[in-house]
Amino acid sequence: MKIRRTQMTIERGQVRRRDFLRTLPTAAMAAGMLSWSDRLALAAAQNKSSHRACILLWMAGGPSPYETLSPLEGHGNGGNTKSISTSVPGIRVAEHLPHIAAQMNDFALIRSLTSKEGNHNRASFLLHTGYLPTPTVKYPSLGAVAALQLGEKRTALPPFVRIGRSTRLRVGGGLLGTQFDPFAHRDPKNPPGNTELATDTNRYRRRLNLLAQLQETQNVAAGVKDSHQATYNKASRMILSPEMRAFDLSLEPKQIRDAYGNSDFASGCLLARRLVEAGVTFVEVNCRGWDTHQDNFTKTHELAGQVDQPTAALIKDLKQRGLLDSTLVVWMGEFGRTPKINARGGRDHYPRVFSAAMAGAGIRGGQVIGRMSDDGSQVVDRPVSVPDLFQTYCRSLELDPESESISSLGRPIKVVEEGKAVEELF
Amino acid sequence: MKIQCFLLTLAETGPKTSLPLFLLGVILYFPWAIAGFATAQTTAEYGGSDFKTVAKQIDARLAEATDGVPDEIDDATFLSRAWLDLVGIRPAANEIEAFQRDNNPHKRNDVVQQLLADSRFGQHWGRYWRDVILARRADERALRLVSEGLAAAVAERINHNARWDQIATDFITASGDVRSHGETGLLLAQKGEPEGITAEVARIFLGIQIQCAQCHDHPTDQWKREQFHQLAAFFPRVGIRPVRNSQPRNFEVYSRNHKNKKGDGKGKNKKPLEYFMPNLENPEASGLITKPVFFLTGHSLELGTADQDRREALANWLTDAEENPWFARAYVNRLWTELIGDGFYDSVDDIGPERNCRHPEVLSILAENFIATGYDINWLFQTIIATAAYQSAMPMHGATIGTTASQPLRSDAVFDNLVQVLEIDRSAKGRGNKKQKEKARQVFQQAFFYDPSLPRDEINPTIPQALLMMNSRQINQLLRGDRRGTMLARLLAEQEDNTLVVASLYLRCLGRLPTDQERSTCLKHIKARKNRSEACEDILWSLLNTAEFRRRN
Repeated sequence: MKIRRTQMTIERGQVRRRDFLRTLPTAAMAAGMLSWSDRLALAAAQNKSSHRACILLWMAGGPSPYETLSPLEGHGNGGNTKSISTSVPGIRVAEHLPHIAAQMNDFALIRSLTSKEGNHNRASFLLHTGYLPTPTVKYPSLGAVAALQLGEKRTALPPFVRIGRSTRLRVGGGLLGTQFDPFAHRDPKNPPGNTELATDTNRYRRRLNLLAQLQETQNVAAGVKDSHQATYNKASRMILSPEMRAFDLSLEPKQIRDAYGNSDFASGCLLARRLVEAGVTFVEVNCRGWDTHQDNFTKTHELAGQVDQPTAALIKDLKQRGLLDSTLVVWMGEFGRTPKINARGGRDHYPRVFSAAMAGAGIRGGQVIGRMSDDGSQVVDRPVSVPDLFQTYCRSLELDPESESISSLGRPIKVVEEGKAVEELF
Repeated sequence: MKIQCFLLTLAETGPKTSLPLFLLGVILYFPWAIAGFATAQTTAEYGGSDFKTVAKQIDARLAEATDGVPDEIDDATFLSRAWLDLVGIRPAANEIEAFQRDNNPHKRNDVVQQLLADSRFGQHWGRYWRDVILARRADERALRLVSEGLAAAVAERINHNARWDQIATDFITASGDVRSHGETGLLLAQKGEPEGITAEVARIFLGIQIQCAQCHDHPTDQWKREQFHQLAAFFPRVGIRPVRNSQPRNFEVYSRNHKNKKGDGKGKNKKPLEYFMPNLENPEASGLITKPVFFLTGHSLELGTADQDRREALANWLTDAEENPWFARAYVNRLWTELIGDGFYDSVDDIGPERNCRHPEVLSILAENFIATGYDINWLFQTIIATAAYQSAMPMHGATIGTTASQPLRSDAVFDNLVQVLEIDRSAKGRGNKKQKEKARQVFQQAFFYDPSLPRDEINPTIPQALLMMNSRQINQLLRGDRRGTMLARLLAEQEDNTLVVASLYLRCLGRLPTDQERSTCLKHIKARKNRSEACEDILWSLLNTAEFRRRN
């Protein structure tokens, strides 16, 4: 444990050092007060300030590829779903996604994702962390890794926000610590829970003062008091900050709100853009209901209708604001669905073939990666594994995939184990 | 009760016995004293040394090893510590007073005896084991299905003085529908899968992380890959299936001793009846059929053994102290770590022959006597709490640097203390409120839950916790001084002296009186604000938001 502690300190120490460099005025560098290696580090830190962000549009339950990004042309497994052409010649998507089709120049589709995990919880964990869950190692989710590596202190808002009701997701900071857990915001149409002051601001500040005063002399270990106080400072800095306005969608012009649409998911997407604009590093927007064991066609039609317009609007909006170059948007779920339609008109879990859409942050749009067989049952070209996907995220978000954190048993855990980034995407 | 009465006597007359309170104490404690006596008698059947003798032995060993005896904590700190550790809440003001006035030299041991006989003791530790087991769940459904039942199952056993070997056996051999048999929780949390169950049984009951050997021989321990899979071979026949037409939806753990009738190896019952160790070179192959062998003793079973026989045999071998010391040592180390704040090992669930043990002789004394008492949980609590290490400000001299006795409270304790401070039960009427209260408990569980098997220095405060405690509308309503029926409104109406109001708030929130400095800070605050009620709300709010409220010192 001694070893583990030391390593932790070193690691955390490095983070602090980078933050320190980021805040140094350029004058210090010019005045030759810094060594060559410090200057290099500073340059790196400044580069990061153009920094990368990620919006994960999470289709919980496992969306059917055949009714969304990867329609089956002329095969019985496709049911009655028709395909439509997109703004990119040769790429077709299911008829339920006309907005995304019109925006296809910005999207890259992966049609050859493949894994072995067909259980919702475990697959969701896998697609959030790059690892299967184990009782011993608490793998952190990509959002937590991004928050750690890309900057916890860029804004008064939490670096990692999860929007929507997501009962199945239990992944967060993991071994990186609770400070990297996502800030859960269940209902994007209202302010997040417990962020509204219970009193007027003056009285709230008085209370904080009294709290700090009373706590200072309490007989509690200094380290404990410090981290408690630091958490309170962070929380109150956040709720008193003007950045909290990012959560208020009514401040957005009607025309933009209309462009996204009216559903909860649409509000989530709009909020995601506002948060990224305010400096949040990783935003996850959840859309539930894709677990279509029965009545797959009606349900996916309806769900695709909910997500199509906001997803396309989000890309367009980010692009117009010059944020798309630095923001990775990923649309996906935890697995695909059986190509054969079951007796109840549904599709069951099928991790062997599934699809994702990506845009922004260096991803070259207007292309398709991989191919599945005509019946949709297997990958026939360019399989992409989950580690490959995570290597790709790291490349796009400028995260160090080799960076190690130490598990509670002293084992070093890399951001991604194995896999190779999908080069064609960049 | 009448706190003011106590405060007045404290403030004006100094420590003198308050007769009515003393009588009340006798009435309240009498049944507990009898129950405690009964416990002591059962212990005698098993033998093992008297807890005081063992505690003294430990004190002597630690004093020798660490060069001196640590400073003893005062009565109020001890009482709070014991209450929080045993029943999860702080003592009420009158309990503190009664305790401080008690001249009985054995009062510390006595109060522990009383608390061990309190039904809240089982409840508090039942929730602890629920958290330990469900924290590592592989299946989210377990949380909804078995949370309540698991805590209740352990609570009931602890309150009926069940021995630790019995509780462990019940978990390993559990079957039946999961809602009414909470002891199925461990199997359910691992979805009935042999690998997960194996990892958790070894981790929780033996303190051994054998799952590191699942794919390769253990890198830092002697365990071989075969040994993991031989242990998993005790569990291939654990089955979990939905209970038909159950409302609310229910599942049951059953013994899967036969394949389905068709015997075609398809459908839900397609899993083999024996355990196959995967072939690493060729993961698609069916692997190597593996006999159940218990890695610590070498005992084994034949292929074809029925499910219940497998699991009962394992439970027997695992809890047999003659051949396996790790079952007792794991529990002793865990409880010592929980109560003292620093363990014999770096981790509560990664011990074993090749791990570095601090004060091994103390661990041995405790483990051997724990075995001699027949794994008597109450005896172990009494013994550890009677040591100088427990009753000191710093747990052990020469302990890990930076260790303190201070620990974050688990979510139920934070919630229950808040309920007690704000006297929420007094204003609650009828069933609707009980339901609401359980809902509120869930909110706290979401914000404050942590895995109790993690080292405490890894448990950090979080922003949602701070937001909940600072801004929750419900909490802010309940701490109002100008609303009928709140605790503060009652206190302000009954007590005109602000010094005593401040003292009462400190006793309620932190289980102690304010220091001079704290009192004067608070009084200054009341003076500066024109509105007395508002000023006292601010003080109450601040105390509930301090680190001390959320911790056991």
